[in-house]
Amino acid sequence: MQTKSRARWANRAIIAVMVVLGIFMLLPFMWLFSMSFRPVADAYKMPPSFLPQNFDLTNYRAVLASDVPFLRIYWNSVQIAVLVTVGQLVTCTLAAFAFARLDFPGRDSLFFIMLVGLMFPAQVTIIPIYLGYAETGLLNRPVGLALMYLTSSFGVFLVRQFMRSQPKALEEAALMDGAGYFKIFFRISLPQLRPALSALGIITFTQTWNYYFQARVLLEPQESMTLPVAMDMLRGFMGQGNLSMVMAAMSMAVLPVILIFLVAQKLVVEGVTMSGIKN
Amino acid sequence: MTIFAANSPVATRAVADRPSELKRAQARAGYLFILPSFVLYLIFVLAPVIVTFLLSFTYYDPIEGATFVGLDNFRRFLTDDRSLQIFWNTLRFAFFAVSFNVGVGLALALALNRAMPSWLLYFFRLAFFLPVIIAAAFVSIVWSYFYGDELGVINYYLIQLGLTPVRWLTSSKTAMMSIIIMDVWKNTGFFMIIFIAALQGVPKTIMDAATMDGASYWRRFTKIILPWISPVIFFNIVYASIGALQVFESIVILTAGGPGDSTRSMSILIVEEAFGSFEIGYAASIAVVLTLVILLLTSLQLLGSRRWVSY
Repeated sequence: MQTKSRARWANRAIIAVMVVLGIFMLLPFMWLFSMSFRPVADAYKMPPSFLPQNFDLTNYRAVLASDVPFLRIYWNSVQIAVLVTVGQLVTCTLAAFAFARLDFPGRDSLFFIMLVGLMFPAQVTIIPIYLGYAETGLLNRPVGLALMYLTSSFGVFLVRQFMRSQPKALEEAALMDGAGYFKIFFRISLPQLRPALSALGIITFTQTWNYYFQARVLLEPQESMTLPVAMDMLRGFMGQGNLSMVMAAMSMAVLPVILIFLVAQKLVVEGVTMSGIKN
Repeated sequence: MTIFAANSPVATRAVADRPSELKRAQARAGYLFILPSFVLYLIFVLAPVIVTFLLSFTYYDPIEGATFVGLDNFRRFLTDDRSLQIFWNTLRFAFFAVSFNVGVGLALALALNRAMPSWLLYFFRLAFFLPVIIAAAFVSIVWSYFYGDELGVINYYLIQLGLTPVRWLTSSKTAMMSIIIMDVWKNTGFFMIIFIAALQGVPKTIMDAATMDGASYWRRFTKIILPWISPVIFFNIVYASIGALQVFESIVILTAGGPGDSTRSMSILIVEEAFGSFEIGYAASIAVVLTLVILLLTSLQLLGSRRWVSY
């Protein structure tokens, strides 16, 4: 009896400590939102604030009115993330269907060749892509960054794994009835893939929203930048005094990912950890 | 397809023709379905990797093109003091970032792997996973203000507590440590989640039996939990290493590689050499070295996943 109640107290104590730790983990985000509402003049006033005192949008308006083409940059980010997400959902699902359901010569070796791609970091592909883009006029154009991520080995792998866990009786029956492969894919396989596709869509969107290395190399002029690179530039551009403005811009930049996370928390956690586990 | 084994000569012919025709149709469909993915993969992954490997053996002039120089680029990388320091920086960063990310992640997982109301679960997932999914480029900027010398948030509180302020990013002694601290804050939640999943697989019956027999928590941890999750620990170490070796934006934003070269990483050197000095061949050779280290780790993972498991 006594050990049981002691165990319960230990339990509570650990959770209490973890709650405090959890709040500490969130401090940088609380600070960033809180600062974005502070008047520029008070930006460096101590103590720093972690909870907003008001919801004054002056800094937000100032960002939009500044010389930096913030809306243009935001639009670049949205455009690239949407293009890549849609592109991957299409190309990865098509390929996964073939790898999981169809039989053709060389299938397994082709799949293996695609899997090898999981091992190569962006650092080893970026130089030829840069040279190729410089040649073809794709350099410094947002669509160039989108183009290189229209498919992914991980996406093909993820959807294929999911498809293999689904029964294929319906597809076989449809085939017997003389339905073509495209019809089977669209009518029968695709509707079953909803969970896998929403996971892939969410991971791809956040990943693309966050690209820095590739974006920094391929998109140099301000008008072609994406948010992660632009934020770094803004910090220097707006100078030390305008901390509040930088944080207002930052709040807008992190908003889509935070919203996705608040709404679809479980899906995001599962999706992102899945993308880590790969094979 | 061979269920309708031939009874009459007519049936035999019809059945014999259909499978091969079906097979051909299926193969056609198969190639068509993988075509977009495979072509994009060839253009944007496989071909660039091969070209980078080839470039690493050349001196590349933007106007005159590439001239073969054998292993010169690699020799330069492995004999130059500066590049060796940067190589060493990268390994050092990876070693500490991986140890703490995985170690802290495991500790957090052990602390959180217990029954709790769902709103608490939501809070913990939010608190520990939010840093994982927000771009390093964004959070590094926030941390750069936290780490400020005079106006920094952390130093303000250190002074309030009567402690000496720390030159987080402006001293070559502490800069790397500061970057590692931020990296652990950002990434440890990822490893925590994977460890929680693994801990939930530890059979309850064995744990209960050990508790009944009066085994201390430490004994249960070392004798049951640790062996059970060892493959996951191994996976996390390899996965964390692959990510840490590529470290780029957190350093670019926090210290830009400084003070001096004290925090410069291989990824930064690649970008500087390739697109700053236009030393394409040399940059390619550094990228190849980085890739080889990563490939080595990945193959270790494949080999180890069979051997390391010890139940």
